Amino acid sequence: MERQETALKSERQETALKSERQEIALKTGAAENVVIGAAEQAWLDQGVDLLKREGMYLDLRRWDDWLSLFHEECEFWAPMWRSEDEMNDDPHMELSHLYYGNRKGLADRIIRIRGGRSPATSPMPRTSHLVGNVVALDTPAENRLRLHSSWTTQVFFPRQKLQHAYFGISEHLLERVDGQWRIMKKRVALQNDYIPSMLDVYCI
Amino acid sequence: MLMENMGLCLDDRPDEGVFRVHRRVFTDPEIFELEQKYIFERTWIFLTIESQLPNPGDFITTWIGRTPILVTRDAKGKLNAFSNVCRHKGSVVQRADKGNAKYHVCNYHGWAYDPTGKIVDVKEHKAGQYSPAFDAAEHNLEPLAKLESYNGIVFGSMSPNVPPLDEYLGEIRFFLDLVMEQGPKGMEFVPGRAAYTFQANWKMQMDNGLDSYHLGSTHASFADVIQRRRKGEGHQEARQYDWTERFRGTGGSFSFKHGHSAIWSRPNEPFKRPIFPSIEEVKKRVGTLKADWMLHGRNTIIFPNFQTADSTALLMRQFRPLSVNQTEMRVWCLAPIGEAREQRSWRLRQFEDFFNPSGFATPDDSAVYEDCHTGAAGSGFDYLDGYGRGMMVQEKGANDVAQSIGINPVTSIQGPFEQSSETWHHPPHREWRRMMEAGLAGKEPY
Repeated sequence: MERQETALKSERQETALKSERQEIALKTGAAENVVIGAAEQAWLDQGVDLLKREGMYLDLRRWDDWLSLFHEECEFWAPMWRSEDEMNDDPHMELSHLYYGNRKGLADRIIRIRGGRSPATSPMPRTSHLVGNVVALDTPAENRLRLHSSWTTQVFFPRQKLQHAYFGISEHLLERVDGQWRIMKKRVALQNDYIPSMLDVYCI
Repeated sequence: MLMENMGLCLDDRPDEGVFRVHRRVFTDPEIFELEQKYIFERTWIFLTIESQLPNPGDFITTWIGRTPILVTRDAKGKLNAFSNVCRHKGSVVQRADKGNAKYHVCNYHGWAYDPTGKIVDVKEHKAGQYSPAFDAAEHNLEPLAKLESYNGIVFGSMSPNVPPLDEYLGEIRFFLDLVMEQGPKGMEFVPGRAAYTFQANWKMQMDNGLDSYHLGSTHASFADVIQRRRKGEGHQEARQYDWTERFRGTGGSFSFKHGHSAIWSRPNEPFKRPIFPSIEEVKKRVGTLKADWMLHGRNTIIFPNFQTADSTALLMRQFRPLSVNQTEMRVWCLAPIGEAREQRSWRLRQFEDFFNPSGFATPDDSAVYEDCHTGAAGSGFDYLDGYGRGMMVQEKGANDVAQSIGINPVTSIQGPFEQSSETWHHPPHREWRRMMEAGLAGKEPY
């Protein structure tokens, strides 16, 4: 019995240690050695502005404006959680909520939204996006920004008269192409992945 | 009225060509309570697939109805399943979805169980001054009455009075073989938790998993997207099927004993299936007939709440009633173990595109279930007319398709895909009524 108890104790300790090691595998978190002077702050502000516009265009249903924030060759990736503590990290071997290797997949979503022929999407849910806690993950550069943010999207479903708050964290890679900031990569961790009926691009 | 006479739940008069289901079957909270007792706690329920627990100590947790279940692989490699509830104060013991543990230790007072369910530690036992009666009693995790696997698919039953699993599944095993034998090293769940809920009765999913009639209307939006993709626009990586072609094809169905049904459609663009590049290997291993049937569209319902589908992507799903008007769905994307990266990626894009709660089809299904539930909850007419298609083409026993694959169903149908018979919803509803009537009469169902 005593030996068993020792084994149990070490099992308990192991479990505790394991959970201390776990990090959300989004490669987010404030990067070390980020230097922000006046120029960097100006570029960072431009990036923050783009993140806010992303939410605004979705809330205002300005779908074309929203789509144009993304580069044609962008990657849009919302991995699924593998377990309670770990996220998937390979979109070609593991499931994602959404994975598009370019902008064409996002364009499909607009067809669905605009078509009015999806029972889940008509009447159209109303959204309110809030994005905050934006942190530069690399020192902002004139043509490149890597940003962490947290977001919450309140969604009201007029059909059922229900509402739900989707929330999570994101990482954006922005690049300035032909003078315009564009989203090259967007990775989304949906924190509450127990989904009430549906999830669409405007919920995240 | 229904409670006094369960027979009224179904208006089943085959000789007169009538099959109708009472709306309250979906909406009555008393019926929901009885379903838990007389169906979920009295028959075989899908738990997992064996490859989810390859090593000693591996475990998964799941549910049978409202009971939390722990499935473990012990040191000897044997599978075990228990009510995942501590014998001390009734707390859930293992709270993780999946993992590996030498001991399952309750968080409340620290009682510990090994993977065979045996209690190995009543914390501070000696100091506890228990009575001899306590020490003489057994405090192990309560094992499930029955636990069996078929071709790697694990089922459990809370009642000992069930037929052997092979007999329960019966002739539908052919269709489960087609799911489980696609990979040379077996099949696995692709990592990723796809869990969602809908605000409707679980039997909406029971019906819809085999409903091809709704495709053109519920999924009109998906059809629009597909149409556009055919012109080279949109998400090409999903390699979606041409649904117009599929509707022009041939299909059919079989009904089986114990409430199971399967539907099939002739191979439609088989080269779009992620196993297609490996089809020669598959043929060598399982034979030409089975390999060809792996390229057919196929959906099954294993009564009461387990389905497989291989129409746009290979999946298993389980729908668990949380209350009369709330259901939890778990969906698993199934893939050959050791599948090449390119094929896996292809499979994922097809699955996500259609079956994710963020996909182009599933949310629309959930929405119509919710609308159905809202509609059915009201008063007015009693019986639903949604079970009548295809009643004039049902053949008793095995048709030539069944004979060609060597199975012996209760009934068979073959015809144009767009016939979309609704007769394949009959077996689950008939079995549902049979079990409910047995329960109310104080009898065992088998």
